[in-house]
Amino acid sequence: MDHIELSLTQSLDHCIKCNICTAACPVAAVTDAFPGPKYVGPQAQRFRHAAQPVPAASVDYCSGCRVCNQVCPTGVRIAELNARARAQMVAERGMPLRNRIIARSGLVGRLSCGPQAPLVNLTLSFAPARWLIEQVLGIHRHAPLPKASTYTFQHWFRRRKSTVAGRRPKVVYFHGCSTNYYEPHVGKAAVAVLEHLGFEVIIPPQRCCGLPLLSNGDFPAAQKHHQYNVAQLLPFVRAGIPIVGTSTSCTLTLKEEAPELLGLHGDDVRAVAAGTYDIFEFLRNLHERGELRTDFRSIERRLPYHPPCQLRAHRIGRPVLDVLGLVPGLHLDESRADCCGIAGTYGLKREKYQIAMDVGKPLFDFVQASGQNLALCDSETCRWQISGATGVETRHPIEILAEAYGVL
Amino acid sequence: MYDTIVIGAGLAGLMAAIGRAERGEKVMVLAKGHGTTHWTTGCLDLFAEVDDPIAGIIQLTDQRPHHPYALVGLTMIEQGVARFRAICEAAGYPMVGNFNRNLLLPTALGALRPTAFAPATMINGDARQLRDGRPTLIASFGVLRDFFPPLIAANLRAQGIAAEAALLALPPTGRQHDFSPVILARMFDQPDFRARVGEQLAAFVRKGGYARIGMPAILGLKHPTEVVRDLQNRAGALIFEIPTLPTSVAGMRLYHILENALLSLGGRMQLGGFVQRGEPLKETLVAVFSEAAAREQRHTARRWVLATGGILGGGIRATPEGHLRETALDLPLQTPDSRSGWFAARFLAEQGHPVFQSGVRVDRSLRPLDASGRLVYENVMVAGSALAGFDPVREGCLEGVAIATGWAAGQQ
Repeated sequence: MDHIELSLTQSLDHCIKCNICTAACPVAAVTDAFPGPKYVGPQAQRFRHAAQPVPAASVDYCSGCRVCNQVCPTGVRIAELNARARAQMVAERGMPLRNRIIARSGLVGRLSCGPQAPLVNLTLSFAPARWLIEQVLGIHRHAPLPKASTYTFQHWFRRRKSTVAGRRPKVVYFHGCSTNYYEPHVGKAAVAVLEHLGFEVIIPPQRCCGLPLLSNGDFPAAQKHHQYNVAQLLPFVRAGIPIVGTSTSCTLTLKEEAPELLGLHGDDVRAVAAGTYDIFEFLRNLHERGELRTDFRSIERRLPYHPPCQLRAHRIGRPVLDVLGLVPGLHLDESRADCCGIAGTYGLKREKYQIAMDVGKPLFDFVQASGQNLALCDSETCRWQISGATGVETRHPIEILAEAYGVL
Repeated sequence: MYDTIVIGAGLAGLMAAIGRAERGEKVMVLAKGHGTTHWTTGCLDLFAEVDDPIAGIIQLTDQRPHHPYALVGLTMIEQGVARFRAICEAAGYPMVGNFNRNLLLPTALGALRPTAFAPATMINGDARQLRDGRPTLIASFGVLRDFFPPLIAANLRAQGIAAEAALLALPPTGRQHDFSPVILARMFDQPDFRARVGEQLAAFVRKGGYARIGMPAILGLKHPTEVVRDLQNRAGALIFEIPTLPTSVAGMRLYHILENALLSLGGRMQLGGFVQRGEPLKETLVAVFSEAAAREQRHTARRWVLATGGILGGGIRATPEGHLRETALDLPLQTPDSRSGWFAARFLAEQGHPVFQSGVRVDRSLRPLDASGRLVYENVMVAGSALAGFDPVREGCLEGVAIATGWAAGQQ
């Protein structure tokens, strides 16, 4: 047992039963299907044993938002305990077909994206089709599904002419499934910003980071994805080239989720983790070293901003506020809501959709009360959830930064 | 780069941060999580060993010149408490009481606990009022764990208070189990829910002629003052809250009020960030590193306030070898020489256990000193229970010292 694993199992002994996590848990606040992090985490963990059947299934109602980890005064890794418990349950009881599908965002993306995208999107906007999908698969008919793109980001990147020439510092961009299949514009903005800052952007072959598989409890499949990505990214990391991503969940998975949950702590995995950055974290580091261009256009706007759970789990503060705070005229109002509710694939599920909507309500109220027609959020599924629930367009902050640099 | 980074999000840290932010500084509070505010009563204990807290403090500062109260002085204590009360008042949650006479409020066991200032929602529980001979009802829901009205009432009766107990029926909620104090508090924020409870209370008052009703401190998380007023009107009796076991709703309210005050001044909060070490440059603390995914995060500031708490709050931890360590910056601690000196022979020893006086020794500007009295950092101030030379729980001055030293750290 290595030291991370040890700290994960021992961390339940750090629980002093104060219930701060349960008081802060946004899911337990709206449903008693989930008794709260303390009960299903450090408490139930004492009754879980590899050789014995899983004692209770309520851990499946943990959305994985990690608010519990964030507020715990004694450092218990509650969310990780829960994720592992769910995986044990899946290993024992199997995984429903629905979860097998939505956990494979790369596969779903590949099937939806391309010339057939308009047809896919039309079908998915057709109420009877959604009803049927709900009946057959258990994906809630009102759950926010993204619009597939007619082209992939990778395809666009390969065919474009780079705007930079000569020897430049290099950076690897990990775009993730959502940028590739649904929101190529996020990737375009990221590439435009990085090139404006003088970087040569490299996009090596990459697969889904595996987070949806991890959060649905299919650890063996997630491990294959992670090993592939590590193999692809390692040469760059070894050459001192940083990996940046616009999806806070992908970067968190590379940094921590996959290594910790899967117990992968080899040198290669660690090196990739240590070389991976959220894009705004990367930009903030540049700024702290005095290397960030600040030739911004003024943007006279006041916009609501939601720091998603998967960003907060990086434990790096609010890099978006730090960097976009440099743009003249731009003012971001930070949401203080715990979670938008969607938690990746959680809110898509028929039995959890209403929980997700109830969890997200304070955030939706905040966005609507802002009176703005645009909101910002770093995480893709959260953007879809916010837009779906409020009707307010929600974009990645990198798009505003690209606008401020005048590179879009 | 911040002007000030405060490590710790308890009363001390938040008061220091508010003070700094009010001066126009760029401030961040960096904390590992929610802290002792969520475990405590939500009252302000100034000095509980004597009836008159201020007189007790004046005497204390003469006798124990290294006590945190003595270091910051009476003015800072009064100003800090005044500012704290003003912030609560502005949030619609007045803290009532005075500097010269402790209140005596019932605990969840029915004991009477001295405290200087309490939220208005608790004030009708003062034992001096309860002893007026008119009957008091202690009421709660069976589903709320760790709060037993019959036990509380029996113990109050043993102290000369005419108390009786009742269990209320929980209005329909759509929830079958897991009724924590916070869950119930959110329910009380809903007018329909408290109308149903109010009807039951009114029925008890009609039958038993109760003048006052004591209930667990779950009467609203967001609008407690309004909830209590509403329930009093419906019940036709005075209502007072009794703090529950953790998680303490009354403590959470104070946390939220101070957090809001800081954020509205433009301050920043970062939770989930365990500070693990500092980066010194001679006698200046240049940066600290907090734990984060895959690698540490480095933070820089001109000035620092360490308000990580004591043994209870986790700012001071024991190693398996039996040494105490200050967790964030590894500052030298004033503590018994060896583990054998930690505890008094008797568990309930009147003078308390020496280990609980452990903490960071500081100069009059609250800057950390080492064992030989030399300054460790010129730009670090220490506030709250991380300080040496007092026993916050035994002396009944946990919140008072936190607010006084936190406020002082925010002013200097």
